[in-house]
Amino acid sequence: MGLFDKFENTATLLKGLLAASPRDPFSVSMDEMKGPTRALVDGKEIVLAGTNNYLGLTFEEAAVEAAVEAVKTSGTGTTGSRFANGTYAAHRQLERDLAEFLGYQHCMVFSTGYQANLGAISALAAAPHDVILIDADCHACIYDGCQLSGAETVRFRHNDPESLDKRLSRLSPDVNGKLVCIEGMYSMFGDVAPVKEFVEVAHKHGAHLLLDEAHSFGVFGENGRGVCEADGVRDQVDFYTGTFSKSLASIGGFVASNHPELEYLRFSSRPYMFTASPSPANIAAASAALARISDDNSMRDKLWSNARRIHAAFTQLGFELCADVGPVIAVKLANKEQAFMAWNVLMENGVYVNLAIPPGTPNATSILRLSVSAAHTDDDLDIVVNAYTALSHLLMSKKADA
Amino acid sequence: MTAIQEDDDLVFHKICSLLEPLNEKGAKLTRDTDIITDLEIDSVSLLDVVMDIEDNYDISIPVNTISEIKTIGELVDAIHKIKKEQS
Repeated sequence: MGLFDKFENTATLLKGLLAASPRDPFSVSMDEMKGPTRALVDGKEIVLAGTNNYLGLTFEEAAVEAAVEAVKTSGTGTTGSRFANGTYAAHRQLERDLAEFLGYQHCMVFSTGYQANLGAISALAAAPHDVILIDADCHACIYDGCQLSGAETVRFRHNDPESLDKRLSRLSPDVNGKLVCIEGMYSMFGDVAPVKEFVEVAHKHGAHLLLDEAHSFGVFGENGRGVCEADGVRDQVDFYTGTFSKSLASIGGFVASNHPELEYLRFSSRPYMFTASPSPANIAAASAALARISDDNSMRDKLWSNARRIHAAFTQLGFELCADVGPVIAVKLANKEQAFMAWNVLMENGVYVNLAIPPGTPNATSILRLSVSAAHTDDDLDIVVNAYTALSHLLMSKKADA
Repeated sequence: MTAIQEDDDLVFHKICSLLEPLNEKGAKLTRDTDIITDLEIDSVSLLDVVMDIEDNYDISIPVNTISEIKTIGELVDAIHKIKKEQS
């Protein structure tokens, strides 16, 4: 039994929470997709407001056609690593297209966004002489990259360049390489990093900056190049990481850089070398979505106008929100139990959002994470606002009873 | 020896004061208390407590070190070691 003992606490906790929950938020099955913003769940049509489909391109006609064509011409899978037989012309072309779009000299495509961060961090930093400094709220893949690297890892306070400054100042002069890791927009609360200040602090101490724009690529900046573009420091970011599974509506990941040494990662990054490359369909869909994003700002404009509408409506309803207007609008609940209850109320009212509870959330908060899509119609958003209105009334009546 | 003993007590009490708000079950806090299992504090909350300790003593405690720590006593010892190294 020893092997399974460690799961007992979590299993007991989950059982307790699920006992009071009509549905299991962690095993929802989208039985049939009805477009980028709707799905059938248990026979009922639900508005999807907890995805990462920011630009709404999952059913983009050109991307669907390109993916179908790629399957027909290049097959269903590559059956090999980028390092061996898994690099097709389309993988190379997408690397060049991403580098050009973002304005960097070099780009490497990985099989997922998770592996892009894992692969970049673990290959760049090494024990015993390098140190990695990470924002406390960084995604699990950044933590895992640190662990795989074996390098000493120090956390600094979330979105606090002064806290990073202090920790960089404390480092022993014997430290060799210093890698600072932050994200553009954080996925759970939707809060945005002061990237310009972080670039200044990192470079002042001779550290390299790795910026993960997984959630902000396509969404922030005049051309959708991310928070670093909005902050005017895109050319000063040492390593720009991203994913295909959000605004690019496919699956895969990438690292872009002006450092020619990035190319060394092709024969030193284990998560790049020891896994199969993205399938031809994934690459074709991501390439088509990138082409669309490159010459059409209308999705981004629609996304932001949808975000402003929802943020204003939720503020009016009196919800405690986790960040300013943006594509992720998270509502803070009192505790896990209330969050489970609230999630069920929204499902009853035809809306799916992400339920997130500690330790998957910052500051041990329980939240309902809503994400806005450019594909959300006014009808979709009406349903969302009505569901949250019902929830707000329920929470208020419970408060009055208490 | 006395000075070290007092300092040890101060660090121990500082850690206890930071853990106490998270000690929902009201477990007794001793050097042998296992932070994760006895106090049922999740790994991320522990990292946040360590961040407060870092700012309090103006030291950096690597995540690698924290992941090896189980008890309050081990955390106290690690802080003393790092204070010595980084002073």
